[in-house]
Amino acid sequence: MPDPASHGSLLSLALVASVAGMGWLALSMQVHAQQAWNHIPSPSVLKGLRWLGSAALVTAFALCLGADHATMAVLVWFMALAGAALTIAFTLSWRPQWLRVLAPWVRRR
Amino acid sequence: MPSRSHRAQVLARVAAAILGGYAFAWGIVATGASLMVAAGMDFHDAEFLGSMIGVLAFLGVFLWAIAARRLRWVWLVTVVGGGALAATGSFVQSLLV
Amino acid sequence: MFQSFRQAMAWLHTWFGLVLGFVLMAAFFFGALSVFDREIDRWAIPSTRIEPQPMPSFEKVLRPAFERMQPTQQAIDAMKPRVNGAMPERFDTVVNWSAYTTHRDPVLALFAGYQVPNAKDPEEAIWADTTIDPRDGTPLPNDRLKIGSGFFYPMHYSLTLDWKNLGIFIVGLSALVMLAALVSGVVMHRKIFREFFTFRPGKARLRSVLDLHNLTGVVALPFHFFFALTGLLIFAATYYFPLGHTQLHQLHDLYAEVEARETGLPHQRAGVPAGLANVDAMVADAQRRWKANDKAGDVGFLVLQHVGDANGYVSVYRAGTDRIALVGDGIHYKASTGELIREDPAATPVGRMAEFLTGLHLQHFRHWLLRWLYVLGGLAGAVCIATGFVFFVEKRKRQHAQMGSQGARIVDALAVTTVTGMVLATLGILAANRLLPEDLPARGDWERYAFWGTWALAFIHAGLRSAPVARGLANPAWREQCWAIAVLAVSVVVLNWATTGDHLLRTLARGYWPVAGVDLFILAGGVIAILAAVRLRRRAQQAGQGRAASHEVARA
Repeated sequence: MPDPASHGSLLSLALVASVAGMGWLALSMQVHAQQAWNHIPSPSVLKGLRWLGSAALVTAFALCLGADHATMAVLVWFMALAGAALTIAFTLSWRPQWLRVLAPWVRRR
Repeated sequence: MPSRSHRAQVLARVAAAILGGYAFAWGIVATGASLMVAAGMDFHDAEFLGSMIGVLAFLGVFLWAIAARRLRWVWLVTVVGGGALAATGSFVQSLLV
Repeated sequence: MFQSFRQAMAWLHTWFGLVLGFVLMAAFFFGALSVFDREIDRWAIPSTRIEPQPMPSFEKVLRPAFERMQPTQQAIDAMKPRVNGAMPERFDTVVNWSAYTTHRDPVLALFAGYQVPNAKDPEEAIWADTTIDPRDGTPLPNDRLKIGSGFFYPMHYSLTLDWKNLGIFIVGLSALVMLAALVSGVVMHRKIFREFFTFRPGKARLRSVLDLHNLTGVVALPFHFFFALTGLLIFAATYYFPLGHTQLHQLHDLYAEVEARETGLPHQRAGVPAGLANVDAMVADAQRRWKANDKAGDVGFLVLQHVGDANGYVSVYRAGTDRIALVGDGIHYKASTGELIREDPAATPVGRMAEFLTGLHLQHFRHWLLRWLYVLGGLAGAVCIATGFVFFVEKRKRQHAQMGSQGARIVDALAVTTVTGMVLATLGILAANRLLPEDLPARGDWERYAFWGTWALAFIHAGLRSAPVARGLANPAWREQCWAIAVLAVSVVVLNWATTGDHLLRTLARGYWPVAGVDLFILAGGVIAILAAVRLRRRAQQAGQGRAASHEVARA
């Protein structure tokens, strides 16, 4: 089990990866892309965002495994995903344009 | 306002779901745990695994009891089936002790 | 009775969710608080605001403490009906001594069970407990109510309704209904993936409430499902499906005998007195053995069975701080000589699964992030149920108003009671905890009365103010109770400062998180309550203007 400092860093990174992952998954959906950019990017861009999102969530799991015993890592990951999803949902409700920072390569109109 | 027969129908469904469901679940735990012990599992392990299957069976029967077209099938399966399962559990126990 | 499966599931979700939702609110809310039960105990019992300690030395600290213990007069009186003849002056034949600690316990709870001479049931035992400061063995006040672990925690699994364990069964039924509500909810929710991130607060009330209900239900779906399931499993063998003590008790007893023979741990006393070897040496040996197996750890549970008898043995268990399992890796020694009897083998696969499932719920592990995520999950569940109530009322209040029915009004009043009322009751007991005189006899009972009394007042207030709902309008009690929460929240934190001197600046500077954390959590709740109250007032003003405008139009 890693020391407290690296335990904390691994978990912080896992949380960031979870939020980014959920954000990319949300942006890959037409309704939320519209909310963020006021237009819907091309299907290939959306597909790319979905892959990015999935990769980020898998990365988050790997980071959790690095931080804790496997039995705990699974629980931390599931709960981090729940928290991340809530964060993205509330961001979409109040300041959807903040999510643009996750995909700066998408032009806004 | 719901008619008396509608209210009776609702009550019958709820009773089947809760009481019938519980009877069936009990039978599942009885048969499951005793068979697992017979197969060599530790008693407390068998009790736990049996309970888990029992709770999930209770959930399934509960949903079925509300959705089923004919309530008499629900009563049949839960009470008669549950009873048969419970009896099986006792039978398996009698072979082991 | 129903046209389709989906319709049946919708009916189930609505009506079972409504009726048992009131119980489930308590389970989720107090369950969320129970994650930090020991920290709440620290807040409620200021004399225990010390740092968590490891299990102390048996020879220096525990043995003198155990030897001083005797059952209370209350326990003796409760035992009288189960005994043929007179009760002894002292109980000296010890069935077992035990001490349990986790990485969050500053004080140590000790338990002692004694044989009862002339008892009707030969296996009968009478119990005593005490709380000590582990650094030196000083006994600490045992009569203080542990508001976290002794009240909020039992509230979440039994509503503290102990008569014939009725509360445990009610909560059990609600847990099953929770599982059914989750499944039926998924069946009803056609766009579960499309609407995964959807929350539209700007839309019409019914839509935005439903969005929030779906959101909080779906994002934490695995959490809600597993907590309800594991909660049921924890109590299954003892309460819900007690086959081991009833229908299958012969099988249970057979295996108890087999186990006793296999493990070499005697079930009964020999009747031959014997001494006690050095227990500290046994504990040290156990820790060495764990380390050798790559499992270095702290002692979580220490048990001495059949104390003073030749059959006596000492069991040392490892605390599950770094993994999900609660305690495990037990190592057992012969009490009179200190020689090793047995090292518990690795758990069976089913055993490991059982440890994982129960440990996931009971959380004795050290992981502060996961604990806070659990609190988030629990509160999400509470919001899911609360929005369910609000949706139910919003959907029906206009038609009920037209029909002249009181249904929506009653549900709304009960909803206010169960949501804001429950929070008020929680703050009420914390306020009473600080306000009541330190040496008040039965102080714990008065604290409990404060809890139920506050809740009752909230209920009465909610009912009295609910008349507008019967006319299709909002109940002002929501807003009013939010203001009450805000005021009470600030008062409770100030009371902590006034009565103990531990204000936030001090506890934060010292890094004493148990008390700082509770104060901050209460203040955060107060802030949320203010935001909610302001929003509700704004909405009421807008509705009032809307009605005034439509009256103008109608009059014109």
